[in-house]
Amino acid sequence: MRAFSYVAPDTVDATVAALRTAPPGTRILAGGTTLYDLMKLEIETPPAVVDVHRIAELDTIDAGERELVFGAGARMADVADHPVIRTAYPGLAESLWQAASQQLRNMATVGGNLLQRTRCPYFRNGTEFPCNKRDPGSGCAAVGGHDRAHALLGGSDACIATYPGDFAVMLLAFDAVVDVTGPAGERTVPLAGLHVEPGDEPTREHVLAPDELIVRIRVPATPAGRGSTYLKIRDRESYAFALAAAAVGLTVDADGTVGDCRIGLGGVATRPWRATEAEQTLIGGPLTPQTARRAGEAAFAGARSGAENGFRIELGVRTVADALRIAGERATR
Amino acid sequence: MTVADAPGTTGPPLDTRRVDAREKVTGRARYAVDRVPENVAYGAWATARIGKGRVVRVDTAAAEAVPGVRLVITRFGPDELHDVGFLMAGGHAVQSLQPLRDDRIAYRGQPVALVVADSLVAATEAAQLITAEYEEEPFTVKIGAEGAETVLQEQAIPLPFLADVKVGDAEAAFAASPVQITGTYEHPAQHAMPMEPNASVVHWEGDRLIVDDTTQNANAVRFGLATQLGIDPADVEVRSPYVGGGFGQKNAMHLHLGPIAVAARRLGRPVKMVLPRPQVFHLGAFRPNTVHQVRLGANEKGELLAAIHEVDQQTSRHDLFPSEITTVSSRLYATPAFRGEQRLVRTDVQTPGFMRSPHESPSMFAFESAMDELAYATGRDPVELRLAHDTPTDPVTGLPFSGRHLAECLRRGAARFGWDARDPEPGSMTAEDGSAVGWGVAAGCYPGGIVPVVAHLSAVADGTLTVGVGGHEFGQGLRSAVALLVARDLGVPVDTVIVRAGDTRVAPQHLTAGSWGTASALPAVQAALGELREALDVPASGDVDVAAAVRATGRPAVAVEATTLAPGQSRDDLAQLDKGVLAIGGPVYPEFVTFSWAAHFVEVRIERTTRRIRVPRVVSVVDCGRVASPVTAASQVRGGVVWGIGQALREESEVDSRFGGFLNTTLEDYPVPVNLDVQQIDVDFIDEPDLRFNPAGVKGVGEICMVGVSAAIANAVHHATGRRMRRLPIRLEHVL
Repeated sequence: MRAFSYVAPDTVDATVAALRTAPPGTRILAGGTTLYDLMKLEIETPPAVVDVHRIAELDTIDAGERELVFGAGARMADVADHPVIRTAYPGLAESLWQAASQQLRNMATVGGNLLQRTRCPYFRNGTEFPCNKRDPGSGCAAVGGHDRAHALLGGSDACIATYPGDFAVMLLAFDAVVDVTGPAGERTVPLAGLHVEPGDEPTREHVLAPDELIVRIRVPATPAGRGSTYLKIRDRESYAFALAAAAVGLTVDADGTVGDCRIGLGGVATRPWRATEAEQTLIGGPLTPQTARRAGEAAFAGARSGAENGFRIELGVRTVADALRIAGERATR
Repeated sequence: MTVADAPGTTGPPLDTRRVDAREKVTGRARYAVDRVPENVAYGAWATARIGKGRVVRVDTAAAEAVPGVRLVITRFGPDELHDVGFLMAGGHAVQSLQPLRDDRIAYRGQPVALVVADSLVAATEAAQLITAEYEEEPFTVKIGAEGAETVLQEQAIPLPFLADVKVGDAEAAFAASPVQITGTYEHPAQHAMPMEPNASVVHWEGDRLIVDDTTQNANAVRFGLATQLGIDPADVEVRSPYVGGGFGQKNAMHLHLGPIAVAARRLGRPVKMVLPRPQVFHLGAFRPNTVHQVRLGANEKGELLAAIHEVDQQTSRHDLFPSEITTVSSRLYATPAFRGEQRLVRTDVQTPGFMRSPHESPSMFAFESAMDELAYATGRDPVELRLAHDTPTDPVTGLPFSGRHLAECLRRGAARFGWDARDPEPGSMTAEDGSAVGWGVAAGCYPGGIVPVVAHLSAVADGTLTVGVGGHEFGQGLRSAVALLVARDLGVPVDTVIVRAGDTRVAPQHLTAGSWGTASALPAVQAALGELREALDVPASGDVDVAAAVRATGRPAVAVEATTLAPGQSRDDLAQLDKGVLAIGGPVYPEFVTFSWAAHFVEVRIERTTRRIRVPRVVSVVDCGRVASPVTAASQVRGGVVWGIGQALREESEVDSRFGGFLNTTLEDYPVPVNLDVQQIDVDFIDEPDLRFNPAGVKGVGEICMVGVSAAIANAVHHATGRRMRRLPIRLEHVL
């Protein structure tokens, strides 16, 4: 870890002011559950850190009639345990409590969680491994290497690092937006436009400017919340990233016809992935094991596998189908 | 047995809880990693980023410019650090290759420079700033890859216990067998990751070197440092009273000790070094990759006619880590012919070494999987087939086993598990949620070793008893077992007994490993109790009022000493201990052969669609002789079963042939089981003393409890799916 300067403003306005004068490379620190790791590994070497973890106005949860509003500084554990979230949006709660460990969820914020960086071992484990994300132009050791956990969707020749988060995938399925602020003013970014695929520029992971701060996440209220689930399949029962995950929200009409259908894919793509074509295969039709399976196949139609990760296509198809079944049961309960 | 325990005589039941539990949970126990002496400096390694080659130049300028850096060392002179040698080749170190003595880079992760600084932060930053120029050479990190060099162990290391095992003409008997089972099984490289990483604090008091280390072998540290630095072993004091997990990874002197001792002398201040987790993966022992070919020949009834177990085991380019894979597979069952052949494969890695049940659990994974295949091939029940091959005599030597209750382990385990309800047809059992249910069984054995031990026992007038004994406490419960023995023998409360272990000041500290710690220490303590009774002039048995007996002698304290050896050993072996050399007896003794035994029964459930493999219950029955400390012994077994789950379903040290070294070098990337992965573990003991083995009747428990677990899981997965799992770890993609 390198020496860095540290400020901890009390308010969002003071944070914006601090960011205005901050040196290039300054990082915003929230729970620190990713940034500190990366600083110890010297993948992140910010000259300055602006700590927003104790700003009270960011640590809010408002489960309103029209929308859910999470302050960016709300702790993952608090959102996961919120009674309205648990009952009206079980998929959101599941996407949070299946992430990391209780200790990490107590520290980590929902805003910071959206931007957590990949767990690709070649990215994290040392400068000897070529990595276009860490060292542009050096190549990608994961291509042709141990790619069991790497992305099946949204990769490029330059990078196949998986976006590791869960919460963003469920938010994407619910058409959430994030409000950001910074020296250039406020703006709203839809979650669908927040993260970018690596293309030939893997260092760029999202559209926010370095001096922009996420202040809140807004989720439009939807009846598909009650019929939602986040199904995460991984190598052990907790404290592991997904081999495949599906974020599903459904409404089912009285005659059994699927009304609303949202499907997100986690742990299989370079960014939170919305499986729009898969959704279309179900809307207006019945939800059966066969239609669920077909939706899963549609979700992975464009998947591209490498040396070791091919099994996760079939696993992903089954995960989507299972998640649809679980969501369907919740939607019709 | 039941776990309840009572003293042999009158009085309230003994408190059998772990004697140092309170110190540990309150943080009062001081581990090496906790020690921060005044004015301490911190060491950190910079490591090689190539797979193999030579260092041309190390650039230390940026490191030296970091404020607080006191020393940057890239090369030690030959007179500064002498050869110590690999533990298993008569030396004391984890490997023969001592970094910073020449320009050779044998593997990725080998240190190229040592930084010592005023703070850990400065040392770490400076180490990360060090770069080097290399001349790279081709390298090989996998068995079977081009450049890997295979040697026959029997020829390369001509020691009797490492020779090929030959009983009868196994090849001919196999060729003539009407039923032939042939399987190739692969066990991956795995790393033990003690929660306390390798950590040391050294300081000089004049010419005396004082070392706080986390080790299972203070003797190796003492004699290794004396050899390395050219000083008298009597001037090296090593203290390791608590060890935050060892598992064999701390069996030998680690490579940073000599360098930081030199640095401490140059700076005139204490130096502390704690290896970061990724460096623990590259500087310590690991369980080497093994590939086993097992062939079983039998008649149509399933009676074994021949068994052949050949293994290729990974080693480093610079050392031969010997294989004892066939020591156990040749002993498990009666068979008229057995052939075992062990080959070592040189690859460009650090020297592999010991990791809980190091050879035995991979051996049993292969052999007990093959036995399951034989059961299916001949239509016999896997438990009944094993019972039919029980034997009171060692198939290799013809000597009797000192104790073998494997059949009782199998019978009792089957009853506790409900094995009778098993439908043998693979895939035939299904849970309510649609999961496939599989029930598997496997047995295991582990050699019974004993080493010479010196025990000091003293009693003072307030009734306090202090035992100073050879042996390290790393959580296995040695201290508890010793305290319980003294308390039982004298009829005194456990909390009047103080046990000091793991300290060269109290007794010679043998390598505490191989499950011989308790079996070696207890006989010595028992002998010392006899001496104490004589010195106190009290009867040879029965409760003793210690305070009164001491007062009656007219002296403030009474101190005695006793030494015990393995059966058949002489005083020469004790002298070896005093020279820091290993002197391990067993498992073959002049008149008998000793092993511990276990049977494991496992249920797996495999999800219908996404195929996650879960282990809802395990029943383990262990024959470890008399159970010396019921609480810690049961804890050992549960820990061994948990590790067996990790071994079978989770753990693999990944290598990328293009880069060398290991890839998944953090506890995030190296997946060990979490609490949710572990469900019901039912532990039972035979608890029959093995008095032929030693007067305390105890045998090892900490290793045997893991042996066979992975095979039982693999056999259960076969029962659930019909698919035979011949490579670990078994992951969901293998049953998708």
